[in-house]
Amino acid sequence: MSRSPIFFFLLAASLAWFSMKHSVNRPPTPDAGEDQEKEPTFREIINIKLIESGEKERLMELLRERLIECGWKDEMKAHCRTLIKKKGRNNVTLDELVHFITPKGRASIPDSIKAELLQRIRSFLVSAAQ
Amino acid sequence: MFGQSQTSLLLFGLCLKLSSHFFEDLLDSIIVDVASECHRIARLGLDHNLDEEEEELRLSAEARARVADPSYSGETNGKYVVDIFGQTHPSVANEIFECMNCGRSVMAGKFAPHLEKCMGKGRKARLKMTRSSTAAQSRHSRGSPVPAYSPYSNSTSTNRLANGSVGAGEPYSNGTSEEP
Repeated sequence: MSRSPIFFFLLAASLAWFSMKHSVNRPPTPDAGEDQEKEPTFREIINIKLIESGEKERLMELLRERLIECGWKDEMKAHCRTLIKKKGRNNVTLDELVHFITPKGRASIPDSIKAELLQRIRSFLVSAAQ
Repeated sequence: MFGQSQTSLLLFGLCLKLSSHFFEDLLDSIIVDVASECHRIARLGLDHNLDEEEEELRLSAEARARVADPSYSGETNGKYVVDIFGQTHPSVANEIFECMNCGRSVMAGKFAPHLEKCMGKGRKARLKMTRSSTAAQSRHSRGSPVPAYSPYSNSTSTNRLANGSVGAGEPYSNGTSEEP
């Protein structure tokens, strides 16, 4: 009969589905109090690769050098001074200073430097993904 | 499901997103470094340019107060007078050097009086010199009044000699000669 293979197939499929849903062969559960560990994200894996290969350090030094050359660091220091003058040099916290200069810092990055660094990061990503 | 091109587009998008994320990460670290450097300098007071005008005003007010202070003695304290820079110096300059006239070592503060004596403003100096130089002349010119002219003097001391020559010349004009 032509129907029976289909019937068996469906039966097998539903059994398989059932066992997957309520599997008797589940792996041993971890201890009750412990959160189940997440898989490291792609981002985290790449981050680890960046650090371990030393590339992150090199990129940081490159960025630092470029930013000093183009005067960005001096602009940031001057901007810091405006806050320090306003609040008095003993009343400024590091946190305040960081939050004060971050928006301007991010916005005043020269495009050429950003492009250079992004290019290097991307080529690293490509080589790391292989 | 996804075609080849769609997968690669997806990956490309992910790549862009990731690279931006890592760039921001680096940038934030550097911003924190700069901020902490500035914070440190501010708290330690190492930035002298922080407010120059204010500092100048403060220093000049301090200096004025110091000068106006009655307990702060000026001229009468001898050696320990302090000037506006906070330095003291002795009332007599004490650097020692060699006199170019007589070769003696003299103290700078005593140099002018020494020169007067050694070059001939004073009575003894003039006597000392004219004795040796003009004694010979008086012998040649046979007692004629000899001007008390010192061969060693320059124009300024000549003037002084001219003024005082009467006194010194007396012994000679009287004819008495002092043996060298």
